[in-house]
Amino acid sequence: MLMDEPGQATKHWLRAQSALGRRAALPSIAATLIGIVCAITQAWCIAIILAWALRADGTAPSLAPFIGFALLGLARAGLNFLAERAALDAGAAGRRRLRGEALTRMLHAGPAIFRTQHSGALTAAVIDRIEALDGLFARWIPAAAVALIGPLIVLLAVAAVDWGAALVLAVLGMLVPLGMALAGLGAAAASGRQFLALTRLQARFLDRVRGIATIVLANRAGDEAAALARSADELRRRTMRVLRVAFLSSAVLDCAIAAAVIILAIREWGIISGIDAGRLDIALFTLLLVPEFFAPLRAFSAAYQDRMHAAGAAGALAQLPKLPEPATALAQPIRTVPAHGVTIAFEQVGFTWDAARGPALSGVNFRVPAGETMVLLGPSGAGKSTILEILLGFIRPETGRVTINGAPIESIVPEALSRMTGWIGQKPILFSGTLEENLRFAKPDATDAEIAKALRNASADGFVAALPQGLATPIGEGGYGLSGGQAQRIAIARAFLKNAPLLLMDEPTAHLDPATEAEVLESLRRLAVGRTVILASHAAAAHSFGGRRLELRDGQAQPARGVA
Amino acid sequence: MSGTTNPAAPLLRILGLWRGRSLWLLLGLLVSLAALTASVALMYSAGTMVAVGSGVAITAGVAGIAVMLRVFGLSRIALRYLERLATHAATFRALADLRIWFFRGLARSSAGGLGFRRAGDLLSRLVSDVEALDGLYLRILIPLAGAILLLPLLALAAGRVDWGLAVILCVLFALTAFVLPGLAARRTLAEGENLATATAALRTAAADALSGLREVRAFGAEGRVAAAIQAREARLFETQRRIALRGATAQAAAFLLGQAAILAILIFAGTGPAAATGLIFLALAAFEAIAILPRAGVLAGHSAAAAARIIEAAEAPVPYPDPAIPAKPPTRSALRLEGVSFRWQDDRDAVLDGMTLDIPHGSRVAILGPSGAGKSTIAALLLKVAAPQEGRITLGGTDLADLSAHDVRDRISHLSQATHLFDDTIRNNLRIGRPDADDAAIWAALDQAAIGETVRNLPHGLNSWVGEGGHRFSGGQGRRLALARTLLSPAPILILDEPATGLDAATERAFLETLNASTQGRTIILIAHRLTGVEKLDRIWRLSAGRAIAAAA
Repeated sequence: MLMDEPGQATKHWLRAQSALGRRAALPSIAATLIGIVCAITQAWCIAIILAWALRADGTAPSLAPFIGFALLGLARAGLNFLAERAALDAGAAGRRRLRGEALTRMLHAGPAIFRTQHSGALTAAVIDRIEALDGLFARWIPAAAVALIGPLIVLLAVAAVDWGAALVLAVLGMLVPLGMALAGLGAAAASGRQFLALTRLQARFLDRVRGIATIVLANRAGDEAAALARSADELRRRTMRVLRVAFLSSAVLDCAIAAAVIILAIREWGIISGIDAGRLDIALFTLLLVPEFFAPLRAFSAAYQDRMHAAGAAGALAQLPKLPEPATALAQPIRTVPAHGVTIAFEQVGFTWDAARGPALSGVNFRVPAGETMVLLGPSGAGKSTILEILLGFIRPETGRVTINGAPIESIVPEALSRMTGWIGQKPILFSGTLEENLRFAKPDATDAEIAKALRNASADGFVAALPQGLATPIGEGGYGLSGGQAQRIAIARAFLKNAPLLLMDEPTAHLDPATEAEVLESLRRLAVGRTVILASHAAAAHSFGGRRLELRDGQAQPARGVA
Repeated sequence: MSGTTNPAAPLLRILGLWRGRSLWLLLGLLVSLAALTASVALMYSAGTMVAVGSGVAITAGVAGIAVMLRVFGLSRIALRYLERLATHAATFRALADLRIWFFRGLARSSAGGLGFRRAGDLLSRLVSDVEALDGLYLRILIPLAGAILLLPLLALAAGRVDWGLAVILCVLFALTAFVLPGLAARRTLAEGENLATATAALRTAAADALSGLREVRAFGAEGRVAAAIQAREARLFETQRRIALRGATAQAAAFLLGQAAILAILIFAGTGPAAATGLIFLALAAFEAIAILPRAGVLAGHSAAAAARIIEAAEAPVPYPDPAIPAKPPTRSALRLEGVSFRWQDDRDAVLDGMTLDIPHGSRVAILGPSGAGKSTIAALLLKVAAPQEGRITLGGTDLADLSAHDVRDRISHLSQATHLFDDTIRNNLRIGRPDADDAAIWAALDQAAIGETVRNLPHGLNSWVGEGGHRFSGGQGRRLALARTLLSPAPILILDEPATGLDAATERAFLETLNASTQGRTIILIAHRLTGVEKLDRIWRLSAGRAIAAAA
């Protein structure tokens, strides 16, 4: 499985990001360029002082170049610091912007996104991939700009004093990109391959470590260690074969630097010793600027690594779903939502997730009057979840109509829709934080009395009181581990707190043992009183709920049985 | 943290691991030092050449210098190329060694404890700690060795001008190359934990929001959730900025020290102009070569903290060591728990309390109970992942304590809820259960797990890639692949921990019926929170208060 070379979409994405990042990187680029001007001036100071010393004609040294050198040194230190700080901020700004965009997309796309990507992969994209883009904004973009302008500034300074030397530098400077292109692979390809190789090794290693218990319990630790060693070895052989050629192109830059130093040293020596001893300062100045001329080019090739990281991350980010168009919601008049009593109706509703696998729903009709319960039955994949996700507003029916109190669901603003909906899933998600924060998630301004009542209604008051820190007990990742039944009760308490007229439930007891299931169902029945309920469930849980039944199979309603 | 007292100790320990590669590492180092010498010598002779040209010290050596210039220039090009090759070759070898050492150590010490109880995040963090050591050789050791080489060269060249100047330059150079990076390393070590905490907080917030997308929507909490994530992001950025600005300050300090060195040479220039001119070029090159060291110090701080963590994980004591002389593996496979009591930690409640169970060879039993009742703990004890604090467990009449874990696990194949699917082909994933299995056996196992048809319909069949964590398959399909792997294993005892998780009711029944037929002659221990009614079982126990209560079969 070879990772593809960055595709068109990725390249396009990178170009767009670079354009956005360049504006943020301007302060950093400016500070670096001013620093280069200071460095040129310093070189002139050094040249004047050394020329005076070498002439040894007994004149007193001028103090100005000494002071100039020292002050410019201080200025350069400050400018370097500023450039670095500006680059840091540009990196942070770029990451903040991208993370905000990615999160908004994911939150809007809703659970539909899980049909193509794992939540773990999404978290990695929004955290690790975006962190990996720091180098693009903080280093690559400024380095690329400075590599274009920096050498030009140095070249102008040299040209002002010595046309010939400037010509030598210009020719050699142009040889660098030319040489890289001629070598065919380029320093770019070299660090690219090396980066790719290392990434692959790391991915395989991470995978094996994550599954280490599986490996050890299967008695395969020794074999797997040997296999890891083998694949690392093979990877090294292959990578080194590529690098042997690819490093030749990095050698072009070294050649240019060495050639510049040798040619200029001999040329200046020839001029000074034979023709014009007076232009010693110019000779020294020219020679001192050789490293300065090539420094931005070196920084550029060092930052190429950052661009490779960015290309890898860009691939993952480019796969995220596009934001849905908000226009449809606004095209129709926005309906108000009644405070009580919700009637749901599906009329010939159809929806397809994936054309290859056929429609998830087709021609589904049902009506649930306010305050009544509808139980959706059928094997997994029959379309139960699709109905719930339409009602949650994550997807739109492709054919037919879904109405809430007579209003098409598309015409209801998402905020209003979520205000009228309560939701209980298979495994409630408890956020890391305290128990109380998790409850208040449903109603941030709930009073303590309301919280206590919700816990009582959900039969959660007993175990909450027994927790070490009561409501202040931290739960979720790294916190106190609640059992499945306890977590579900917290979810029910949340639903009580929210007190929404429409209650959607997706297999709320699927992961509970029979005794706990019976208790939780008891609380759920209490929650259902007076609300419109749509429950997707397996048979056992369904029995305890009265009301209508809709048997689904392959996205179609089956002949009714037991309609109330 | 143990590493705080002496940041170098864990790094030295890691270097110790690379003893076997010392030849390669040394070669890379030597070539790299030679290349560095050629670079500074090139600049030095260029400066000297121009100075000589001014006629101050006309000697017969001019032609010599011109030759040297060419020699250094050419060797610089060749040596830089060789340096890149040699150091990369050495790095690849050293990194592979480090990873394999870590993997073996982890497998020996903490796999049972860590991996058995699903600490996936902790494991991922350890892996990124291993990756943090990637730069140890190339970005820390080699520049440091370069600084050690440059110091006497600089002193000698400065001595030709003035020995007082030599002392000043050496002090400035040592401050830049050794003192500043040392300070940076110490600082980073202190800040590393803050950075890790801030990153983890951001990750948790994002993971919560994404796995709870439905809740977020149902509660209309998009804005609140986004604000919470942004607040944590801001805290992370603040920490990063503080650390980076400290690095930038160190960098500026290093730059100023270099500038002070040049200024000192300029002040002494009148004393020995020709030598001073060469020295300026040498000092510029030398200080530029060590300019990365303060940053290397930051990296060293990170690496030291990472090294301390991975050494701790890889060399943790084995939780249940094998006996010095393991008993001969028993020929029979009856399992028996006698008055077994167990708790995972001293301050936790006992999970099992005086449990007694008999599982004869070839029997099919179920252990039922709500989550947290200790069902998976029984699996851990049977697999010799943990030792009971009281009582004993026997396999074919021999105490598990007298057997090697290897022999025990040869007898027992285990499908856990955390069973991992590797980012590899279906064939390789199944062969984890039985390395020598041929394709016919693999297909048979896939069919038994009711996934054979699905795999046959894939364009690449057994060569299909499973994807990271099995993500190319649905949860239920992944579960069945894991089950097929367990069924493929030749072990006489199978422990199936909630094997039907992620299967819908119809598939679950079909699967359990196949299981009845396909595992004749093997012991089956089914762990579940409920039964469907189609299982053919000899015995059923319910766990309650740390004991097993027999229920009607």
